[in-house]
Amino acid sequence: MELIQQIRDKARKLLEEGAVEGIIGYEQASDGLTSRPLFAYDPSATERLIFDETCAHNLVKYLLDKKGKKMAVVVKPCDSRAINLLLNEGQIERDKVFIIGVGCPGMVETNWNHKSETLQAKCRSCQLSKPLVYDFLAGREIERQAEEETYSDITEAEAGSVATRREFWLEQFGRCIRCYACRQVCPGCYCPVCFAERLEPLWVGIRIAPEENEMWQTIRSFHLAGRCIGCNECERVCPVDIPLSLLNRKLEKDVKGLFAFQAGLDPEEPPPFATFKKEEKLEFGE
Amino acid sequence: MEYQPKVIGFLCNWCSYAGADMAGTSRMDYPQNIRIIRVPCSGRVDPLFVVKCFQRGADGVLVSGCHPGDCHYTEGNYHTRRRFALLREFLDYLGIAKERLRVEWVSASEGQKFAELVSDFTSELAKLGPRSKI
Amino acid sequence: MNLFVSEDALIRWLDALLQERIVIAPVRVQGQTMFQPISKADSCQLSAVSNTTLSPKGWFLPPTETLFSVQRDDGQVELVPALVEQDAVLFGLHPCDAKGIALMDKPFLQEPGDALYRERRSRTALVGLACLQVQPECFCTSMGSAPDDPSNVDILLTEVEDGYIVQVVTEKGKSLLPQGLAEYKGKVPTPPKLPAVPTKEVISAMRELFNDPYWEQLADRCLHCNICAYVCPTCYCFDMRDYADKGKVERVRSWESCQSPGFSLTAGGYDPRTTKGERLRQRFYHKLLYFPEQFQDVACVGCGRCVRACPVNIDIREVISDLQQVTEAKSGS
Repeated sequence: MELIQQIRDKARKLLEEGAVEGIIGYEQASDGLTSRPLFAYDPSATERLIFDETCAHNLVKYLLDKKGKKMAVVVKPCDSRAINLLLNEGQIERDKVFIIGVGCPGMVETNWNHKSETLQAKCRSCQLSKPLVYDFLAGREIERQAEEETYSDITEAEAGSVATRREFWLEQFGRCIRCYACRQVCPGCYCPVCFAERLEPLWVGIRIAPEENEMWQTIRSFHLAGRCIGCNECERVCPVDIPLSLLNRKLEKDVKGLFAFQAGLDPEEPPPFATFKKEEKLEFGE
Repeated sequence: MEYQPKVIGFLCNWCSYAGADMAGTSRMDYPQNIRIIRVPCSGRVDPLFVVKCFQRGADGVLVSGCHPGDCHYTEGNYHTRRRFALLREFLDYLGIAKERLRVEWVSASEGQKFAELVSDFTSELAKLGPRSKI
Repeated sequence: MNLFVSEDALIRWLDALLQERIVIAPVRVQGQTMFQPISKADSCQLSAVSNTTLSPKGWFLPPTETLFSVQRDDGQVELVPALVEQDAVLFGLHPCDAKGIALMDKPFLQEPGDALYRERRSRTALVGLACLQVQPECFCTSMGSAPDDPSNVDILLTEVEDGYIVQVVTEKGKSLLPQGLAEYKGKVPTPPKLPAVPTKEVISAMRELFNDPYWEQLADRCLHCNICAYVCPTCYCFDMRDYADKGKVERVRSWESCQSPGFSLTAGGYDPRTTKGERLRQRFYHKLLYFPEQFQDVACVGCGRCVRACPVNIDIREVISDLQQVTEAKSGS
């Protein structure tokens, strides 16, 4: 309650002083059990702000809808990596964002009207005790009892033959209905015209079928290679349970291995595909 | 009829395409399975092109550019190198065998190298068989 | 008169149906349940308690379909329309989903009618399954249906011990039944009660609130994905495009949604719905005002799928209740 009160008090003060135009935080969802994003523009609305283990949403994405406006946003450690990513890519201005940081005990798996006791997979190996960047820390740092990141889910998915992997992914992509929720929720997906919407040249098209879905999923993940900050929102929002983390984490693992880089840790570090090392050979001999 | 792999080759204008030209003018034989697309630089090749090729029925894709250090645009092929190191691994993970995507460095004077590499690539693809269509 | 079919007899019935028709039934798919064509009777996972992730509207309006193709061969031009090859039966749909199909019939069968939809519709029988329990997101009784509503199916099954009560609703349903079913003389389960959603004044409230800031505020958290429209039994927006490849042209129709940015972008570059609030508002206006004005029925069946599926909890029940509160506040009552 102490943590929540600090968030509310800070938010109210920011609005009363006119320091920000609005607060992006969390409130209770209509099931009375889980949470949903809250946009508060009036000091009285800040009473609805909460923070608990159901607040998995990455609110940083919403900053891209509010460009030019000074906003405050409640940010967990993983979300702060998204802030760093967007700063690095010039999509947000640091002085237009007031970051209310929170230490995070880990988020549990939820659906509407269901709250489990199981920690989300991404939280199990999270070492961050507080956000990497913030203007105000509500509550305190939380020492994480994190598992070591071994990418065991990826090693498992890498196993088997090319043919079995093909079959697995075709089956997964076959279920995709191209709702684009994965893209819409992702802080790294902000192209004014997504490649999937282009007609000239036509990369994907409107057909909702395994071939087109494969194009969609493969290229979207690849556009996030070296940029995905691991919030796993894409997988959480997917209505047909496609294991998108198996795509993004594979790329994360390989980018780490090939280029010793992880997105969102340092807003100044050049991303791996915007730079190169002359002397590196990678697998190509020269 | 014997299976003929469809190979798409993205060749950079200044080195690899010239190298392929040289193979031609020197009357060097190489398999006709390759369909060549000329690009200004291997760094122009967007992973999107490669995945689209596979989606449209290519059995193999070749991306060929100047030797690193010799790029006509100085840096393009350094980016190619990074991009495709990652993409080859990713496509293999998704069920498109690594062997189907080749990245080679061919200079304008390496007509022989070009002919040999296309020949080698084509026979390797013939052994792998057609890429399973959906 | 109600009939009774035992669990075993139901399996045999499904097997018999599979001989002549495509059978689309709820099937477990990686932790979820979806309506899909089945190849054997025991794949069918009927549930009187929960619903599928996607509605069965995909049988009548598939996520993607080719409407026709045009081939050019040696100067000859041939137009090949899509054909409906076989009779089908949609098995185990709940009354809310059946109402959804009935609502979609209104635009799609209105003259001149959508040829493919009409063909599929007339060749598909509907075997419904009543709900014995409802989920917290259900509100069908506020939307003109009920857990045991037989009005939009050919047969309605109700689960009882050892089998199902069979209520024959139409002649088509009667012709579908296996022989030798006994009469059911037992008790018919009482349908569960549902919480009410106050829908009484929503249409008139909608008329007044088009320019209200409520929509921009609600849309702040909307992601503008297509989830709500795609899981919904009554949303039916689509996109259509011609694809040409090696002398063959296909006209493809796929699901789309008014929520997508760019859905209403016109060829001149003008887009009447550029803001989030305008797009979000459109969906609610279609369901709660435009459709009722045109077809005399609200385009929502209370299945609750959007409530479950929306990643940011935009809850239509809350919206309906909010709208009436906002109008009351405005009129100063």
